Amino acid sequence: MTTTAGLEAHGVSKVFFSGSDPVWALEDVSLDLAPGSFTCIVGPSGCGKSTLLRIVGGLEPLTSGEVRRGRTEERIPEAFVFQEHGVFPWMTVLDNVAFGLRMSGVPSAERLARTRDWIARVGLSAFEGHYPHQLSGGMRQRVAIARAFATGSPVLLMDEPLGALDAQTRQLMQEELLTLWESERKTVLMVTHDIEEAILLGDRILVMSARPGRIVHDITVPFPRPRTVGIERDPGFVELRHRIWSLLKDDVRASEETA
Amino acid sequence: MTGHDRDSRTLTAARAERARERRLRTRDLTLAILTPVALLALWEVAARFGWIDVRVFSSPSEVAAQGAEMAADGSLAEHTLATLARLAVGGLIGAVLGVAVGLLMGTSRALHAALGPTFSALYALPKVAILPILLFIFGLTETPRILSVVISVFFIMQINTVAGVHAIDAKLLEAARAYGARGIDRFRHVILPGALPYIFAGARVAVGTGVIVITAVEMLASNTGLGYLIWNSWTLFMPDKMYVGLVMVSLLGAGLTAVFALLERRAIPWRRGRRA
Repeated sequence: MTTTAGLEAHGVSKVFFSGSDPVWALEDVSLDLAPGSFTCIVGPSGCGKSTLLRIVGGLEPLTSGEVRRGRTEERIPEAFVFQEHGVFPWMTVLDNVAFGLRMSGVPSAERLARTRDWIARVGLSAFEGHYPHQLSGGMRQRVAIARAFATGSPVLLMDEPLGALDAQTRQLMQEELLTLWESERKTVLMVTHDIEEAILLGDRILVMSARPGRIVHDITVPFPRPRTVGIERDPGFVELRHRIWSLLKDDVRASEETA
Repeated sequence: MTGHDRDSRTLTAARAERARERRLRTRDLTLAILTPVALLALWEVAARFGWIDVRVFSSPSEVAAQGAEMAADGSLAEHTLATLARLAVGGLIGAVLGVAVGLLMGTSRALHAALGPTFSALYALPKVAILPILLFIFGLTETPRILSVVISVFFIMQINTVAGVHAIDAKLLEAARAYGARGIDRFRHVILPGALPYIFAGARVAVGTGVIVITAVEMLASNTGLGYLIWNSWTLFMPDKMYVGLVMVSLLGAGLTAVFALLERRAIPWRRGRRA
């Protein structure tokens, strides 16, 4: 089955030039994601976490190293969820969600069925014919999430998927994302700057250093599944959040000062 | 004072506010219509009382009478349709070519580098200026007339389409790529719809320019069409007919612009009622 695909990256480095000076965005980053696991990347801004995600998804070339994607026979591209602007303003909700399926040539009857199913699962059935500008920010992001899940790709790559939402909508969407993922168990790699979000959603949290980006800590999240937002009241949750923050703090301060 | 009283008073005030807004809208519309009507009336009165020279400025009623006569003998339809046909054929060919080349140039860096500067230079050239060359090559036929329209419309559409493609949000292009949009699918579902607002902006300019170019070309190198009608009436000193031609050209331009505005609303539903 397609859900067995994991994801591996070995010794990935990315260097680009700013004028004549080489800038190390990523230095010797290795990843090994178990099939069906949820991994979050946190790190100070500018540490290259989005770059890593884009390299893993094949949207950006790497300078050296290697990315190996899954063991699936049928190659369905990794499905992305972007922070914002990821949905096409000229398509209705239905066409947006169907986009990945259309591009990979899924026949229209099956495409429509799968699309409708996912629109229903994110609670947007009444808005099928709406255009994105007629929706709220949270609804637009639901469209983007449904589009990613609908492709049937075993690997989902999310770049701050909830980053543009207000705090309350964000909390709501975290719960929805948690429920959706726990029913599907795809391999997820998610970049976030929200430590609590990472703990709530992730099995593993990778902490990156400031530039040159490296993975400096690999933390296993101990909470059992299925989870609810209730774990935020757990003493273990508070302690873990504190631990990750103290790992990040110096780098965050440093990146604020050099930025 | 009870809550109910307060509510009903607030509602009354809100209704008064809405009624006022409606009255203002009606007034705006009335003013917009009244201005040209008043100007025409003034013109008519001025002509009747001899304040202006009617040998040059025919009165609106005379122009209308002339128009009715030409409509009856079929010459009005003949000239109008000749102009419209050239505009339609030339405009369609120019627009299709312009949009196609624009989409390719917008997506191919090499093509843009190769053709961009040359096309920009050619765009600046007044199209009527190359009419003599076209006449040299094709003789006094329909071809140079239609080609003048094709060339004018082509450059406007090409430049606007390139601008439209370049204006597509890079994040949307990336999302398209992430979901495997390639080749013709990418053009159909992403590039073309993304560039459509600019393409329609270009079409509006192209309609205006097309009318100018075809009128000028017909004045110089045709014995049919509204441009010819206007020019010929001037050489024969028949101002009534000249004004009929002028009115028809204006109506043609306005009509085509309205048609394109309607098409635009149809083609870009996602731009309608967009919140800021």
